[in-house]
Order: sequence, then structure tokens, then C-alpha cells
Amino acid sequence: MNDWLNFSSNAFIAAFFLYCAAFIGYAIAVAGKRWSNRDPEGHAKRWGRIGFALAALGWLAHLAFFFTRWKGGGHIPTSNMYEFMTFLGMAIMFAFIIVYLIYRKVLLGAFAVPLVIIIIAYASVFPSEVQPLIPALNSIWLKIHVTTAALGEAFFAVGFAAALVHLIRVVDYSRTDKAGRRAQFWTEFMLVVIVVVIGFLVSVFGFRAAGYEAQFRQETFRVDLQGQGETIVQTVEYGLPPIVAPYNSEKLSMAPFLGLKEPLFEAPSWMNGVNAGRKLNTIIWSLISGLILYGIMRLIARKPLAAVIHPHLDGIDPDDLDEISYRAIAIGFPVFTLGALIFAMIWAQIAWSRFWGWDPKEVWALITWLFYSAYLHLRLSRGWQGTRSAWLAVVGFIIVLFTLIGVNLVIAGLHSYAGV
Amino acid sequence: MYGGESVKRYRKPIQYIILAFVVLIGGYAIGQSFFKKSTVLKAGEAAPEFTLADLSGQTHRLDDYKGKPLVLNFWGTFCPPCRDEMPDLQRIYEKWQGQGLQVVGINLSEDRISVRSFAKSYGVNFPILLDKNRKIERLYGLKEYPTTFFIRPDGTIQEIAVGGPMSESFIEQRVERLFQP
Amino acid sequence: MFQNTKCECGHQNPTGTVLCEACGNPLVDDLPPDSPLEMRYDGAARRSQKQNPDLIDRVWNFFSSVKVAVWLIVITLIGAALGTIYPQESSFVNLDDPAQYYKDTYGTWGMIYHFLGLSRTYESWWFIGLLVMIGTSLVICSLDRVLPLYKALSKQQVRKHLNFLRRQQTVYETTLQTEPAEWVEKFARELKRKRYRVWIDRKDGMALLAEKNRFSRWGPYINHIGLIVFLLAVLARAVPAWHMDKYVSLDEGQIKQIPDTPYYVKNEKFTVEFYSDDELPERLKGTLRPKLYETKATLYTCTADCDDPVKDPVLVPVKQHNIQVNSPLSYKGLKLYQYNYEERIRLISVKPMLVDKTNNRSYGPFELPMTDPPLTYKAGPYTLKLSDVYPDFGLDEQNRPMTKSRDPNNPAFVFVVTGPGLAAGGEMYIYFPMPSAENKKLQDQLNESFRKLGSNSGRFAFEVNGMENVSFSQYTSTLNVRVDRAMPYIWVGAAISMIGLVMGFYWQHRRIWLRIDGRALTLGAHTNKNTYGIRAEVAAALGRTGIAVEPKALDNRRNKR
Repeated sequence: MNDWLNFSSNAFIAAFFLYCAAFIGYAIAVAGKRWSNRDPEGHAKRWGRIGFALAALGWLAHLAFFFTRWKGGGHIPTSNMYEFMTFLGMAIMFAFIIVYLIYRKVLLGAFAVPLVIIIIAYASVFPSEVQPLIPALNSIWLKIHVTTAALGEAFFAVGFAAALVHLIRVVDYSRTDKAGRRAQFWTEFMLVVIVVVIGFLVSVFGFRAAGYEAQFRQETFRVDLQGQGETIVQTVEYGLPPIVAPYNSEKLSMAPFLGLKEPLFEAPSWMNGVNAGRKLNTIIWSLISGLILYGIMRLIARKPLAAVIHPHLDGIDPDDLDEISYRAIAIGFPVFTLGALIFAMIWAQIAWSRFWGWDPKEVWALITWLFYSAYLHLRLSRGWQGTRSAWLAVVGFIIVLFTLIGVNLVIAGLHSYAGV
Repeated sequence: MYGGESVKRYRKPIQYIILAFVVLIGGYAIGQSFFKKSTVLKAGEAAPEFTLADLSGQTHRLDDYKGKPLVLNFWGTFCPPCRDEMPDLQRIYEKWQGQGLQVVGINLSEDRISVRSFAKSYGVNFPILLDKNRKIERLYGLKEYPTTFFIRPDGTIQEIAVGGPMSESFIEQRVERLFQP
Repeated sequence: MFQNTKCECGHQNPTGTVLCEACGNPLVDDLPPDSPLEMRYDGAARRSQKQNPDLIDRVWNFFSSVKVAVWLIVITLIGAALGTIYPQESSFVNLDDPAQYYKDTYGTWGMIYHFLGLSRTYESWWFIGLLVMIGTSLVICSLDRVLPLYKALSKQQVRKHLNFLRRQQTVYETTLQTEPAEWVEKFARELKRKRYRVWIDRKDGMALLAEKNRFSRWGPYINHIGLIVFLLAVLARAVPAWHMDKYVSLDEGQIKQIPDTPYYVKNEKFTVEFYSDDELPERLKGTLRPKLYETKATLYTCTADCDDPVKDPVLVPVKQHNIQVNSPLSYKGLKLYQYNYEERIRLISVKPMLVDKTNNRSYGPFELPMTDPPLTYKAGPYTLKLSDVYPDFGLDEQNRPMTKSRDPNNPAFVFVVTGPGLAAGGEMYIYFPMPSAENKKLQDQLNESFRKLGSNSGRFAFEVNGMENVSFSQYTSTLNVRVDRAMPYIWVGAAISMIGLVMGFYWQHRRIWLRIDGRALTLGAHTNKNTYGIRAEVAAALGRTGIAVEPKALDNRRNKR
């Protein structure tokens, strides 16, 4: 490799640790308020500023990572899953800084920074070498389309963070009626999903650090477009202990784990993609480790996680959170339209000579756009504010994540990146 | 009322105009989603016009064959069923020529030398026309070779036989139907 | 259901008015008494309140409803998502039997998917129907709202009713310590510094209206216009003359007509460049990853004999370009893009010598093209006449020579050689220009069988000396030919839509009203977005006139919750 790329990796690590430190700063600002009986407001303000300073420093390190990788790799680093997700993390931090400068709410940082950390941790799961571009990707519109779309999505992410805070802030644990219980359940469910994502990261990095490996030889039978059948033999590699083996495969090698020497069962026959078994295994592991983590947290806290966080949010007006969430989405929507739809159409027209081809990634970008358009109409013309709007912002961000991750990994198409 | 008397007066016509546009444009949009696929010729439609040269360089048009029933066979030397059914077509031609049946073979854009050599060796003496650049085969929407069109004296298609080889009796049945009023 | 429309201030309002057009006093009491007012469209009557709406009115009201619009958006969104579950039929270049393919590849669910038409979601009548309905909704929703909004905003009253002021989102009431007229002038100056337009009404006590960024209200409507233009342009592409999407595959040196046009395109040369191993990361070393590929192409137009069945069309070159993936050949709306390529060796022409094996003399060379070869050739004193041509030589079930396809994959030529010292009927030989062991064997076998039949004496052979006598194509390049006359309008629609979005979201329409009765100051402010910002602005302006107040204190929304 070269010096620029070395510097780039180091800058990335520095950014990651600075973000973690910023999160700690924010956590102290928010949680410490209750224990700082001298001056809660001053305490929150001081630690909030420390948290923000650390986050901003982290962002500068992140920028350094980005630009040095650009110089070292020869092209803008947004062309595979690793590069794109790290860019997204950088964009979300940027969006957070903007929204923070407008509204100056410390609380937002306590939720936005961990979101960024999770995203760049997720990015690190994917191969990070610099790859040369194939001709179809080599255009200035690539740089413009991907960066603008990511920026729009970054604002949606901040809107999601604010909506999350809002929901935890307004969930009322003293209610026992059906609607109240439903609100408690779904709010807690959201946090469980986040814990499962953390579980995924813990499993992948844990086993990767331990150097775990297993291999399978899989035979798939496929019918091509002219109706001819053919059998394909492939090797599938696992980075996590195989609980579920690929469909119709035999084990080539498997390091034993906790006494597990053989896969427990085989993937069902309708999962016949070459990586389907491995992905299912990854999902099962994420669920297991996530639920174990959650279980431990519940045992320590002895109440729902939302109930643990809830009391610390008393200092903020839910209306303000509602407004921040809406404002972030309102800022992001035109940017997203420009980047994910218009620039995408321009690039597609130049590269593949059709501005819209109903490719799954294009369709999901449209679905995201339609969804946020519905969000804005419901809010502005039908008066949907408060909790209803917050849930929509959460669902919207899930759709954004599906567009970025789900389509690449689950559905095939012109846009596919490599997977895990 | 909607903002005042003056507005009321032009509101109704505007509604009518807009809704008329919606019906027209929307109808066109939805309608053409139904008709996207019909570039395929069907029985009852008129056979598309063509102007092609035969092996000696003379031009023939579809119009020249109006007034009498016509069997139009698209074929190529690279297509085994096309070759296999040539003798049967030749026999039908000899048998029904006296009654006015016309048989024309349109070759699928092959080299003149190959076509002439083939026609000679198979003893074909009904007119063989040479398609150029696959133009007429595209015009007739061919998907498979051979394809034979049984065309009535008035120029409309009675029947389309896709694939082959056709046996002599198969061809004869359809020729008989061509002669029925 | 008769509604009283005369306000206590004396103004007669149209039926359906929510807030009095003159003084802002709420006429409709469907909200709790102290809650913020419904300020949409400034409370103007938006809809026709006729007793018996006829069919046209009902259809109009249906499309005018935002609730319906949101439903349409949601249903379209769900429909589009369903279309991504399995690949669509249109993503395959050559699908022979869709029903069978979906059943084989995806099982029962695939069969159901195809049966329901979901494998052609985006061309289906119901999806297009949804888009048509969204387009209709865009038109009717906008028309129905933009006119009353324009009327309401262009004739605004400065002096508002106290009920109106007290029930805004941002409210401030106090008793002035200074002279009202002086204070109002000072306040107006502060607001003007923040780029507000200010109107002051001095009769019967002071009243003030300050407004800025009214243009932002038109943003959504401009956005809708842009979307309508966009959708209409998309529809226009369905008009046949405005849209073409074809593929043309060309060997090097080959020229082909672009179907249904008077244009012909020639592939002069194709080149491809690969990444070298040191440009590739470890994982990809040794793989052939294309860095750049291009077709040097010439576009011709036919000027005469274009449809002549006998004569060749007369062609005139009109444009030359090196077509790459991101760089098409563009000519009068016609665009040729580099789509794909395949490495496939095909002979274009050869210049063989006729070799006389009896005396080892060679005659010629003569030029033999693989496609459209002429009938006769001369090699020395001999004349060769082509008796048969097989572009893709093969043997049928009875081992007779035939051609397997129309593409010159493995050409074979049957010559009859006549000339001095030869039999009157000439000698028949078969010649395979493509060098391969298989071809040599076939050639020898067939010529031998001709000799056994007496058709030749075994005297002649064909030979090509050196690569300079061979012209061949190494690559077949596939170009995508497109016409898209509606494209400019698509970009225009998209641009208008963006302008509308930016106008609407990045500026906010703000208005501040106040009235002074004696020394009592009542102030109300409204914005369609970002109440946080207007509170800060009002508090800042008040602060500079000597009234210190926290922005939070101005927030009147809390009354509702």
C-alpha cells in the first residue's frame, strides 16, 4: 500500500476513539445531571460542550481519513460498502453538527454520536481494501450522486435520532391501558433491535479477532433463461460458527466452538443463493448475541431499557424534539431528492443511457422518497405531529437502511456491492 | 362558495377541462400498457407489404400476388426443418398451380449464391425472394423458423404456421381452406 | 347545516371560512377555546360547500383531498416494493418462457408472483394507473389550494382581532412603559433590519403587520408543477417517434443498419484496456478487469437506393466518434452508447493463393471476403467461380454440407476452377479459410470425395501467406442505440421540482401582528415551519426595544397539551 493509505487507516481509528470518547462525554452530561446536585444545568452544559468538542475533533479525523484515502486510492472513496458506510457516518456527524448549531440541544448528541459509531463499526465489517473502479462507475456524477444522497440520508438519520429520543421521552410507564402498553412495547422493541445490531457487531468482530473459520462445499442446481439446467459447485466460507449450514452442502472444515463440531441444521431449500446460508447464520448469531446482551442489561437494570433512559430526558421539551426531528427531515428532503433521485438519474442516463430502469436500488430510493413525502404531507397538511410523526421518522430511517444495506445484500441488481 | 362569484363562473369549465385531460392522458397511458406487446401478426390482419428481388434480380411485391391465394414461406438453408419441408412445398406447388395457387419462398437474408445452389439442388421452381438485412422478417414479427403464412386472395392472413417441417398433407389441408370462400 | 358567515367585525365571509378574512376572528369553533388556531390557507374558505355535489364535484373533491393523496403515495410505495422481491421480466435480455422460468427458479412463490403480474409490475395497468392518479391529484390539489392562498395572502389586513392574536403559536402580551407610537417605530425598525416588510395602521390605536419570505409559500406548488411536467414527459416517451431503445452488435469492420432508421453504423476498430496487476489489490491480481473499452464508430446515412431490393444503399458518413461507456456518439437526437463487448475471432476477408500442386506454382492472391463474396475471381490464368457458400459450415444428418447459422463463424467456399489445361466443366474444390486441425481434416476429406466422384483432379490447393493477407475481427461490440426526445423535458420538470422544494423548505414564511389598545400590547406571530426560529427572532427584536423576554416564554403551544 502507500503512505497516504496508512495515514488514512490511522486517522480512521483515531476518529473512532474520539467518537467513543464524545459519547462518554455526552452520557456523563445527560446521566450525570441527576447525581450532580450542585448545578445540574451547568454540569449538563459543561459536559455537553466537552462531548461536542470531542465529536467535532473526531469528525475532523474522519475527514482526514476520507481525503487521504482519496489521495492514496486515486478515486473518491465511496465505491464499495465499506467506503460508502464510512462516508455516511461522516455525513451523519456533519448533519448532527449543523442541527446542533441551530438548536443547541445536548441530548441530541447522546443519541446521534452512538448512531455514528454503530454505522462506522458496521462499515468495518466489510473488506476495506481500495479497489479500482470498473468503467461504468468512473464518472464525476458518481462522486456527486453518492455524496449528495448520503448527505440527505444523514439528515434523515439525525431526524431518526431525535424521534427516538422523543419516543423514549414521552413513553409513560405509569399507564396500564392498551394504548399505553402498546407504546411501551414498541419503544422497548426499537431498543431491542438496536441491541441486536450491536450483537451482530460484537459477534462478527469477536470471532474475527479469534480467527474463526469454517468452510463448506455447496452444490446448487440452477435453471437458466433458455430453460437449461446446470449444477454449480461452490465453496462457502463462514466467519461465524455454523449453526446453520448452506442448503445441500458438505462440511470441508470447521473449527469447533463450545463443543459444537457439526452444524445444527441446514438452510431450507428455497434459500438457494450461494451466500444465503451464511447470511442466515449471521442473522441467527446476531439474534442470539443481541438477546443475550439485552438479557444481561435487563437483569442489571431490572426494568425496560427505555424506562432506564426515560428519567434522564426530563430536561427537554418533547415539542422541541418533535421540531428538531421534523426540521432535520425537512432540511434533508430536498438534498435527498437531489442526490438520490436527480443526480442518480443523470448518472444513469450518462452511464447506461436510461435514466430510470426500475432496478431494485432505484426503486427503493423512490420508495424512501415517497415515504418521506407522505411523512411531510401528513405532518403539514393533516396535522400529524408528536408521537405519530416520530414513529414515521423511525420507519423512514429503517427504509433508508434497507435501501442501503438490504437491497445490496438480499436483492441482486446492477448496484450490488460485495457482502458479508 | 369558493372565493367569490367570479371564481364560480369559471370553476366548472376548468373542472371539466382538467378532468377531460385526465381521462385522455390517463386513458392513453394505461391503454398503452395493454398494447405494448402486440407487434405480433394475427390471423385476419392484412399481410404487410414488401418489395424484394428474386434470384434473377427481378423485383416482386406482395401486391403482385393479390387476387389468388398465396402460401408465403420464410426459410433459410441454416434451418433443417425449413430444408426438410421444401420438397413438400414444391409438390403442393406443382399439384395446385393449375388451380391458381401461388407459392413464394422468402429467404432469410442469406447469400444469393447459397440460395441459388440450394434451390437448384432441391429442384425448387416457385419464386424465391431474397430478404435483405432481415427487414421483412422483422416486419412480419418472426420468432421461429420456418414460419408460413397462408394468405387469402384479398391479402388478409388466413392462418400462420409457426415451426416445421410441415408435411404435405398438413400444407394441403390449409391450402384447401384457402380456396374456400 | 347552515353556517353563519358574518363576523362580528361586520365583514361577510364566504361559506366555509375558518378565520374572518378581515379581522382573523375565528368563525368555526371546532378547536378547544385556548388552543392555537388552524392557520392553513390563512383560514380562507377552500372548498365548495354546495348542498348537492354532482359527479364532477365528487371526483374533483376526491382528488383534491390530501388524505387520498397520501393513500395513493402509500399504495404506490407498497406496489413498487413488491416489484423488487424477484427480478422483473424486463431485466432479462432474452427470456423465452417467463412462466416456466419463474416456476423453476423460485418455486411456487415464483409461479404466484408471475401469475399475479408482479413480474411486470412497473408496466402493469394498475401501477401506471396509480401514477396517473397521483398526477391528477397533483394537478387538482394544487389548483384547489393555490388560488385561495394567493387571494388570502395578497389582501391581508393589518389590524387583527384579539382572539386571533391570542391564539397564535407565538404570543406575547404586556403593558408598555414607553409611548406606544415611539415604541412601534423602534420595533418596526428592528424588524426591518431582519428583512421584514412592515405595514403600520395608525388609526384607532396602533396596529402592525410584519411579513417576510412570502415566496416560500409557493414552493410546494412549484414543486408540484415540476412533478407534473416530469410525469408528462415520462408519458411522452411512450410515443413511438420520441423513443427508441435498440441494440446493434458489430464485428470490427462490419457495417449494419440501425433498424427502422435511415442510419447505418460501422465498427471501425474496437479496443479494450485492462488494469495491470500492480493496479489491482491482492485479491484481484490475475483477473482481467477492464479499465477502458471503446469502439471507433462511424455513423452513415443513406441518401439513395435505401430500400432497393437489388441495389446496395448509397451511404454517406455523417459523424465519427470513439464510443465509450460514458461517452456516446450523438447525432440529431440519436445516441449510440457502448453497451458490451465479446471477444470472438471472426475472419473478415482473406487473400489466398491458388496453388498448383503439379508444378508448385502459386497464382493470385485474390481477395475473398467472408460476407457478400463476389461470384468470380481471377488467379493467374485461371478463373474461379463460387458455386456454394457456407458461413458456418456443418454436416447435416445425412453428412451433407450445410450451414449451421447465418453468422460467419466458420466459413467454407466451394469454387469451380476453370482455365487452360482443365476440363470443360471445371474442377470443384472446397476451401476453409479459418485455420484449424478440424477444418484441415474436413477440407481434405471433402476434396478427396470430390476427386473420387470425378469433380476434380486433386491438382489445386489454397494457401494464405502471412498475416498481412488476413483481415479479421477480434471483438464483437454491442452498441445501445437510443432516441429520447422527451429527455430535456424530464430534466426541466426535475429542475422545477427542486427549485420548489428548496424554496419551500429552506425559507419560512413569517408574519408578526401586533396591536396596541391604550398601553396594552398584544402580539401574535405565525410561521408555517420552524416556530423555534420565529420565537428567537421576536424575542431578539423585543429585546432591542427594551423588553427582555426569553424565547421560550413566547411559546403558546403548551396550552394545547
